[in-house]
Amino acid sequence: MSSRKKTLLKVIILGDSGVGKTSLMQQFVNNKFSQQYKATIGADFLTKEIQIDNNKSVTLQIWDTAGQERFQSLGVAFYRGADCCVLCFDVTNEKSLNNLTSWKDEFLVQSNVSNPQDFPFIIIGNKIDVDDSKKIPSLQKKLHNITHNQLGGLNYPVFETSAKDSVNVEAAFEVVAKMALQQEELNAANGGDVNDDYNDAINIHLGSESSSCC
Amino acid sequence: MTTARNSTKYSRSYKDEDDAEYNRGSQHLKVQSRNLHGHQRNGSTYSRSISLLDIYCAESPSRATGDSPSANVGKLDDDEIDSNLAQSLDELQILSSNESVGASPVAAYDRSNSTLIGGNSYSERPSSIMYVKPTTASVEREVLNSNVDRYGFKKVSTLSKITAPQYDRWFKEYSDYSLRRKKKWEILMKSHGLGLKLGHPQTPASSVKSVEDIPTRFPPRSDKVKKMVRRGIPAEWRGNAWFFYAGGYERLSKHEGLYDQVVRDTANIKNKDTEVIERDLFRTFPDNIYFNASLSAGGGGSPSSSSSNNIPGATSSNEETLLIKCLRRLLVAFAHYQPQIGYCQSLNFLAGLLLLFMSEERAFWMLVILTERIIPKVHAANLEGVHTDQGVLMLCVKEYIPHLWGILGTTFEGEKLSEDKMLSRLPPLTLVTSSWFMSVFVGVFPIETTLRVWDILWYEGSKTIFRISLTIFQLCVDSPEFQSRRSHGTDESEQIELFQLMQNFPKNLLDPNLVVDHCFKKIGGYGFGSLSQDEIDRCRSFVSKQREKLNSNNRRKDLTEMTPEERNSLVISHVDDGNIHDVYGFHRPIMSGMLWNKSISNKVKKKFQAKKKD
Repeated sequence: MSSRKKTLLKVIILGDSGVGKTSLMQQFVNNKFSQQYKATIGADFLTKEIQIDNNKSVTLQIWDTAGQERFQSLGVAFYRGADCCVLCFDVTNEKSLNNLTSWKDEFLVQSNVSNPQDFPFIIIGNKIDVDDSKKIPSLQKKLHNITHNQLGGLNYPVFETSAKDSVNVEAAFEVVAKMALQQEELNAANGGDVNDDYNDAINIHLGSESSSCC
Repeated sequence: MTTARNSTKYSRSYKDEDDAEYNRGSQHLKVQSRNLHGHQRNGSTYSRSISLLDIYCAESPSRATGDSPSANVGKLDDDEIDSNLAQSLDELQILSSNESVGASPVAAYDRSNSTLIGGNSYSERPSSIMYVKPTTASVEREVLNSNVDRYGFKKVSTLSKITAPQYDRWFKEYSDYSLRRKKKWEILMKSHGLGLKLGHPQTPASSVKSVEDIPTRFPPRSDKVKKMVRRGIPAEWRGNAWFFYAGGYERLSKHEGLYDQVVRDTANIKNKDTEVIERDLFRTFPDNIYFNASLSAGGGGSPSSSSSNNIPGATSSNEETLLIKCLRRLLVAFAHYQPQIGYCQSLNFLAGLLLLFMSEERAFWMLVILTERIIPKVHAANLEGVHTDQGVLMLCVKEYIPHLWGILGTTFEGEKLSEDKMLSRLPPLTLVTSSWFMSVFVGVFPIETTLRVWDILWYEGSKTIFRISLTIFQLCVDSPEFQSRRSHGTDESEQIELFQLMQNFPKNLLDPNLVVDHCFKKIGGYGFGSLSQDEIDRCRSFVSKQREKLNSNNRRKDLTEMTPEERNSLVISHVDDGNIHDVYGFHRPIMSGMLWNKSISNKVKKKFQAKKKD
């Protein structure tokens, strides 16, 4: 119903605590890195306007989230209407890699997107500036294993980045923007927010009514 | 999982001290030596489960316990106890007789315990270290010439737009204010027979250099003291004053040695919590020289110590500072002691700030007091307390700033939330306000403003968080930024804009007096002081009950998704689903000044608007 005329693309960054979500966002939006980011409580967002595909200008609204699991219960409102989701891990932290799948699932459950099968996700492995000896052993194999077996065999783009040294960050977000734009256009073609029921008490009512008539 | 030690803790009913009716009769005046062994770990846990409702009915920091006479025992070093004991006891006598409290507690004082209290084996942060630079004219000059403030924070933060010259301009003025306030505090202390220079009669009070010169006990609660606290506690007294008014001494004396024990138990522990803690240690106050050794190389001050003047722990730039080590131990111990909370991000900010002002053990108990009594379950695994308190805050906004509610009571999708639905669908902005509660404004305001709020919080309790939150909202609504930036586009962009504005707005509120005065002043301010603890407690109970209903409905919903038969049968039982749509009624005292008038005019306005629509 609501045909929001936006070139505004909403991007959600998810991943375990400390993988560098805030740093990635700051590096991309403000071109700076600081050792002094504080742990993110709740959520924060920044916007950046970029040009993609023949000077088409879009505004990325990038949401940075708290990585600790329990914060999931707070931050569901802003998942809705997301156009792309960035799943982050830390190349020195195997657990953060293994958790990618649950972050994806969590997002799909909470965001209630209409096309979970081909919703655009992108994977970012951050901190490649760190010494090789500290990196996850046979990372490529493990990553391959996860993307193919656990993330549904879908070929999500993978980027290895360093928010610290600004390696690949720009490139990754350019792909994010393109994917998000596609998703946005798809949504627009489907008539906007199709799947708009809510996981709460109000819909119990609606849900029950509709079920009683069939 | 209930252990014996909690069975009666919350059953006492306290009075709201708003009317300065502080019931001294219920004080616990005994040093409870038998409790030394009273807290045995039950199985593998120290935990318990208490309903939020129970807690909300009993919340009130220290009302019964704020000034236990064991007060200054914890403060003294072992070797000083002998010499100071007599004097302390004399003072206790004075205090006791002033307040018509019997002298029996003094008799119950057990010296062998006192040495235990003073024992410091668990802590590498000796209580003799003073990180906070005292309120003196020379410190004012020192801070003006430094790139760090009184507390070791960099004056210019990446988080706000405040520049060094802006900071200095403000600090110059505020420092004079602080000096004036300190003089008033000294007079107040004297009028209560509380000596300021226990062991150092030769030291002039204005040149406090070490912790021995800082008072350990404070005047009993009164309207006068409340006003003094609202105008700010002298920076270097804060740790002791917070601890005193929050009921820290009672906790400490009840659980002597317990922190020590928990630290020993957790010395080599490794689990999910410790992993997250480890990652957060250096992300707590990276802009503070006592938490980030690499900063102190670049100048800044050193904390005063009674024994020496070297920077504690911050010897080489690549080493962990002493406070980082304290923070790790404290957070790990806390996670172990409160397994139903474990480690929750934002506890690091709370513990970190406490550590700048008091010893590790005291900071631990303050964190326990905060999470058990003041903002219960806010850090729990499901963050239930956050949800409840955001619901309460939203009800307060609707009541006190209806104009703002009209804007923020809208989802990102543009749906207007009616009062009966707001609890099940908290507005997007509560994502911002959640952190106000979880971090109790640490990182939300510039540090001095946060500290002034903390002064009030430890004295007055949780209503402070709601009052200050409302003040931020109202200040923001009245600000030119709000007026000019308010988007008239789609609902979503309006919500997004509001979100960003509310997130950034408090970061630039450098002047604490602006915030505090607006909060409490009835004339020239918003008069949010009329929002009583009683109101907050009732509102919390209401929201908590609503959420319980909601959750049980949601559980039923899960069932309905299982089989169509079950579903159909449940449809029938769902007919009275409307019962979650209760509406909370605020209690309005008839004489609450401007606010009362404002409220009436708002109600009249609303009625007119409603009529127009009709």
